[in-house]
Amino acid sequence: MNADNDHKVIIAEGVTKEYSDNGLPVMALRGIDLTIEQGEFAAIVGPSGSGKTTFLNVVSGLDSITEGSVRLDGKLLSTMSGRELSDYRRDRIGFIFQAYNLIPVLTVEENVEYIMLLQGIDKKERHRRVRDLLAQLGLDGMADRLPSRLSGGQQQRVAVARAIVSRPALVLADEPTANLDSKTALDLIDMMRRLNEESGVTFVFSTHDSMIMARARRLIVLKDGRIDRDEAQA
Amino acid sequence: MLTFKIALRNSFRQKRRTTLTVLTMLGGFALASISIAWSDGSYAYVIDMFTRNQMGHIQLHRAGYLDRPSLYKTVDDYKTLGPALETVERVQDWAPRLYSSGLASVGEKSSGVRIIGVDPERETATTRFDKKVTEGRSFSLAPSQEALLGTGLAKTLKAKVGDEVVIVSQGADGSIANDLYRIVGLVSSGDAFGDRTALYLHLTDAQELLVLENRVHEIAVVVDGLDDLDEVAAAIQTTIQQPEVEAATWQEFARSFYVAMRADQQGSWIMLFVIILVVAVGVLNTVLMTVLERRREYGVLRAIGTGPGQVFRMVVMEVVIMAVVSMILGSVVAYIVNYQLSIEGIALPTAFTYGGVTFDRLYTIINARSFYIPAVCIILTAVVASLVPAQMAARVAPARAMRTH
Ligand SMILES: Nc1ncnc2c1ncn2[C@@H]1O[C@H](COP(=O)(O)OP(=O)(O)OP(=O)(O)O)[C@@H](O)[C@H]1O
Ligand SMILES: [Mg+2]
Repeated sequence: MNADNDHKVIIAEGVTKEYSDNGLPVMALRGIDLTIEQGEFAAIVGPSGSGKTTFLNVVSGLDSITEGSVRLDGKLLSTMSGRELSDYRRDRIGFIFQAYNLIPVLTVEENVEYIMLLQGIDKKERHRRVRDLLAQLGLDGMADRLPSRLSGGQQQRVAVARAIVSRPALVLADEPTANLDSKTALDLIDMMRRLNEESGVTFVFSTHDSMIMARARRLIVLKDGRIDRDEAQA
Repeated sequence: MLTFKIALRNSFRQKRRTTLTVLTMLGGFALASISIAWSDGSYAYVIDMFTRNQMGHIQLHRAGYLDRPSLYKTVDDYKTLGPALETVERVQDWAPRLYSSGLASVGEKSSGVRIIGVDPERETATTRFDKKVTEGRSFSLAPSQEALLGTGLAKTLKAKVGDEVVIVSQGADGSIANDLYRIVGLVSSGDAFGDRTALYLHLTDAQELLVLENRVHEIAVVVDGLDDLDEVAAAIQTTIQQPEVEAATWQEFARSFYVAMRADQQGSWIMLFVIILVVAVGVLNTVLMTVLERRREYGVLRAIGTGPGQVFRMVVMEVVIMAVVSMILGSVVAYIVNYQLSIEGIALPTAFTYGGVTFDRLYTIINARSFYIPAVCIILTAVVASLVPAQMAARVAPARAMRTH
């Protein structure tokens, strides 16, 4: 691990992913070379089936790769055991999914607290962080509600809170706004961007929505499992 | 902690399914409990019938008498033996008996009989002899040439209370024994088969008839409680210090009866096994359904850093919580039913005869076994049935679980 890698959160080199669909090989990723630096706010876009979900899954170790290598914080994913990967995700990556994000039987507060409980952070610290974050995300007064009693936008904000509460190096979000109306979606993205700017959390998210893409500072366009374009935006 | 909290709340999520699972386990628990209570109750009741009302718990005989009974194999100084028995712990009472066979005639009718010499006072204290006298009365305390007939025998001989009966037998000295007695009562011992030949005489009268003064064939002993009779028998053996007299428990002197009872108890284990199987299938079914339904959720849990072991425990714990609830409710149900049945009993659709005694109603017993055996079985069954689904949940591949739309 060299000093150069310190501010490089993800280094993907020649990443290939091949699925087999009833025996037929499906190339979901065909040689991706990509580096994500600390503090980036990057969107992965592209048509349906272009490999966005697959990419997010393989860089977080939720799925294996066929060829190439992925380094997280300079560490080669392929050398980590299942247990190590699980701990790594718990400590270093925050996830936001399109749907079914929250644990339905836990309250908002408990959902946000969950990962800190897994990490063994003490009660006082947990409550302080949860309280601060819920206030920051405009969720005060919702702490004791169950997710089913929240709107879609509120649920996604709780998911964002859960993803960043443990101060991960990286937040991965697969179409976090897909189930939201455009106003709520923009609010959510703005909020993520604010967190990015204020706390320096690295965000990588996929989206179909051009309004959302416009908010990203880097646009990575996938097409048929390849990087078609990769450009910075204002 | 956290796993427990999630498991606890998860178990109340699918209300209908949880209710069904709890009912399955509750039913299994209650059924198992009732069947054990019933089996133990019948067992205790039948044994009590035999021991307390007929045989006694322990019997003393001359060595070899049990294998081959004979008029000459007698216990000789029962009058000193008896009081010695009373010093042994748990011994409650004892009754001497003399047996022989002969021919009895009333008027024109004759029949082979089993002559049973009893000490009326002791026999009443030991096996409730007076309660078995269904007509007339029991013996006078002093021997006065009185006889009591088994009800079946009275029918055969067309004898009634007040008639005279002539008995012919053989004395121990080889002489012809022959005497006249007055029938003072009829006896229904509970052993209908035995009642067809039983003819009771006062012990002293019988000893005189058979020329066996001061001797008996058997001493029946009743003891406090049915457990560990071996120990009591051994204590008796050391106390009496007579190697030619042997103390045997009912398990030994009523061997075939004991074997039949044991076989009957095996039946309740089979019942328990069937219950366990039904519960296992029920639990497996619901837990599998639940796990399949929650694949995404387990996927999310795994994705955000929950270890496979934690997911595994979550599933097992959820089932254990339901099992514990089932057991608590099941205990209440089982207790109520067992209590009711221990008082009222269950009338058998067809009365059965066991070793000559007719049973038309059996009772449950309330004991610890009928609660802890089902409890252990249900918990183990629930845990075992949830292992495979729990493993499935722990192995959920997050990427795949969340992709399925
Ligand atoms: N488990 C799988 N088995 C077989 N093929 C798969 C599997 N997962 C993904 N694929 C295929 O890999 C390709 C890339 O899929 P992916 O889900 O990454 O695309 P996507 O860009 O996220 O699409 P969308 O915008 O619709 O979410 C698709 O052709 C898809 O059918
Ligand atoms: Mg996708």
